[in-house]
Amino acid sequence: MRKGKQKSRISISILMTSVVVGLVLTALLAVLLFSAQLYENSVEQNARISSEQAVVQVVNTVENYIENMAEDMELISGYMRNSEEERDEFFQSFMEIRSDVVAVMTYDKEGALADCWSNGRKQKEQILKDLSYIDSSKEGVLSISKPHVESLFEEYYPWVVTISQKMKDQTGKDLQVFMDIRFSKITHYVDDVGIGQHGYCFIEDTDGNLVYHPQQQLIYSGLKEEMTKEIHSLSDGSHTRSNVIYTIRTLENCNWRIVGVSYVDELITGRVENMMRICGILLLLVFLTAILIGILFSRMFAKPANRLTKAMGEFEKDAENFQFVPVQGTREISYLSSSFGHMVVRIQQLMEQVREEEISLRKTELNALQSQINPHFLYNTLDSIAWMCEEERTKEAVEMVNALARLFRISISKGHELITLEKELQHAQSYLKIQNYRYKNQFTYEFDVDKSCLSYLCNKITLQPIIENAIYHGIDRMVDEGRIEIKILEEEDAILMVVTDNGVGMSREQCAEILHREAGDRTGIGIKNVNDRIQIYFGEEYGLHITSELDVGTTVEIRIPKIQEGDYGHK
Amino acid sequence: MDINDRKRFKMNLQRYYYLLMILGMFFLAACYFLGVRYIIRNVEGKESENKEGSKHYVAMITKSTTSSFWKSVFAGANAASTEYNLTITMDGPENEEDFQTQNQMIEEAVENGAEVIVFSAVDFHANREAIDKAAEKGVKIVVIDSDVNSDKVSCRISTDNYQAGRMAGAAVLSSEEDELNVGIVNFDKNSANGQQREKGFRDELANDTRVRIVDAINVLSTTEDSLEGTCQMLEEHPEINVIATFNEWTSLGVGYAIEELGLAEETMVVAFDSNVVSVGMLEAGEVDALIVQNPYAMGYLGVECAYNLINALPVEASQVDTATTVITRENMFDEECQKVLFVFD
Repeated sequence: MRKGKQKSRISISILMTSVVVGLVLTALLAVLLFSAQLYENSVEQNARISSEQAVVQVVNTVENYIENMAEDMELISGYMRNSEEERDEFFQSFMEIRSDVVAVMTYDKEGALADCWSNGRKQKEQILKDLSYIDSSKEGVLSISKPHVESLFEEYYPWVVTISQKMKDQTGKDLQVFMDIRFSKITHYVDDVGIGQHGYCFIEDTDGNLVYHPQQQLIYSGLKEEMTKEIHSLSDGSHTRSNVIYTIRTLENCNWRIVGVSYVDELITGRVENMMRICGILLLLVFLTAILIGILFSRMFAKPANRLTKAMGEFEKDAENFQFVPVQGTREISYLSSSFGHMVVRIQQLMEQVREEEISLRKTELNALQSQINPHFLYNTLDSIAWMCEEERTKEAVEMVNALARLFRISISKGHELITLEKELQHAQSYLKIQNYRYKNQFTYEFDVDKSCLSYLCNKITLQPIIENAIYHGIDRMVDEGRIEIKILEEEDAILMVVTDNGVGMSREQCAEILHREAGDRTGIGIKNVNDRIQIYFGEEYGLHITSELDVGTTVEIRIPKIQEGDYGHK
Repeated sequence: MDINDRKRFKMNLQRYYYLLMILGMFFLAACYFLGVRYIIRNVEGKESENKEGSKHYVAMITKSTTSSFWKSVFAGANAASTEYNLTITMDGPENEEDFQTQNQMIEEAVENGAEVIVFSAVDFHANREAIDKAAEKGVKIVVIDSDVNSDKVSCRISTDNYQAGRMAGAAVLSSEEDELNVGIVNFDKNSANGQQREKGFRDELANDTRVRIVDAINVLSTTEDSLEGTCQMLEEHPEINVIATFNEWTSLGVGYAIEELGLAEETMVVAFDSNVVSVGMLEAGEVDALIVQNPYAMGYLGVECAYNLINALPVEASQVDTATTVITRENMFDEECQKVLFVFD
């Protein structure tokens, strides 16, 4: 459960990476949007300005041109009052010089063609429709027509604009003077004006009719449309309609308007796209940086922290045998690590101390038990001795007393826990001797001792409780003569003491129980006590092993290490 | 020992720090430079691409190069090639029956690396093989004006010739004469659009009881041959009072024939296409109606379509019809008709 929880939490390096990426992303986006807006505005502003500049230039040029035309018109009007020869001569040279003037015509008041001069063109015999004539408005005012086809000459149909003026001739009659002009000078100028990549200029009149458009032919062929109607409704100045900027100026000396058309989006989108690309690259860089930081972080912090956590977990599981390896990382981590290391050492020391204290406590307890003399045994034995004395079996009584004295001397052994096997065997012999008297030779006993073992140490009062158990629980209830055999064997790295009796035996449950039962009133030190002492002193691998079979007998094996005098000190 | 360990550990840590920092900085710097170089190259690349070098090449191969119809087509094509920044060549055989020269021109255009051929076929069938071969080499084909019998054509831009023929027929039927004895002067029998126009014309007249088609001749697409053929036809059939003819050169020939024979009053002539001369004839009365196509639009749309094909943009339709207008003496100087009839120079 805890592991699951740990997994569901986000690693700090991922958190760090995502925070950095997120922050930079937001900042970048904000800056991008803001600057794109700013940029768009300034680009539009620039486009407006350049559009206006271009239009103003066109306006100036066209105004100049029209002024020239007006001057020409004045000149022509002046010659109208001269004699016919002078007039013809003038027109001859005028037409030759001014190739853009197609024809000069005069009409009378009713609009009938009076005179016509052209540069060597043959006038039609029958004019189907005269497109040049328009009933012009006021006297003395110059008016400019819509563009139309010249329809006066044979096999010659250029597109022209007619300039007309009313005046009086030398005789005082009303006279209208018309001049058809191919306005190539203006058109070439207008053609060359570009605003931005695809922007252009065109000329319309104040009624919204197209005068000249660089893509006139396209418009006439129906392949392109200009929003002339919409533009017509717009006043002078700059107007933005969706992504098109229209800049309009009306000429001062005629009814023409110059319209500049430029496109905003093509200017902006290209650059914004570029900006986007740069931002994309920046973002990639930031992402890589963030990953780098993440790796760095994980190196410096997350990984050592994980290692530390793992070490703590291991310590938790097995505190005793835990070996702490210091974790490397940032300063914080290394402090944590060394503190943990100190803590581990300290805890292990404390644990050791507690165990040692516990052992010494147990030892004290056991020692106290050993020194206790079973009062029943003492009482019975003394009773037996008293009987012997009464029956004057002095020799036997002496032996009994001697045995009892030896028994006690060895029991005490100056307070030492470990005594030599020799003494332990003497102790067992004394005990058996006393019991044999008491049980009136109901059993026999035999020692089989490997002499080389005698100098090894063993816990005192090891054999006696086993023998006591054999007598009370095995032989005492027997009808036949009992037999107890005690063997001491040397093994490779241990000493084996075997106590065998031929008594009633025990069931398997009894065998197990006997190792766990505390000593009762009647018995002295219990078998459990023996086993505990051996294991406390020498470890778990040593101690008692009981095998028993009902009605056959019991064998108790006691295994102790080979320890010589002076060996035990450092253990 | 403990202190030594910690010192060594700290030193290790610092070495890690510096190494990683330096590596990271190098990496970032490299990224930055690469990024900037990429941007610069991109921007420059785009500009240089726009300026020169890799301009796309479109070859326009037409029936003829001399008539004002084709000049107008070329004007439209030029306008489009300027607008779309294309290299364009325009070529055509000297006479309008010479499909061999046209086929040769197709081959040359393919060799010169044309990406699109804007084509107007002299011969509906005889040009097929050359066009198919070019298409097999990956060249896209756009047909204008006159079709070729190939299914490799990406887009066809032309007058609806059948409809134009019907318009000519309708112009004839507007006559108030009781009897309409019609003579047809058509050009090369193998040209698809001439045949379609004639069919439309005949279909339109079929239901009128006043109409009797007296004679139909095919002449070479030249003024002289047409003039000769018309005179001969009129001599053979003096009852003819309506003549229909279907392209610019034959129109001129018919016009001259009428002028020569002085039949301007008596004979109604419905002709095709306009130039300065035929407009003069219309005004003077030798010709009574002109069916005017929109050659400028054909040229412009043909090249625009080529541009779309090169850039894999969607082509609006596989068949685009350009507008046709009927011009008579009465409406020739109307504002709209002026725009159709007279080329703005």
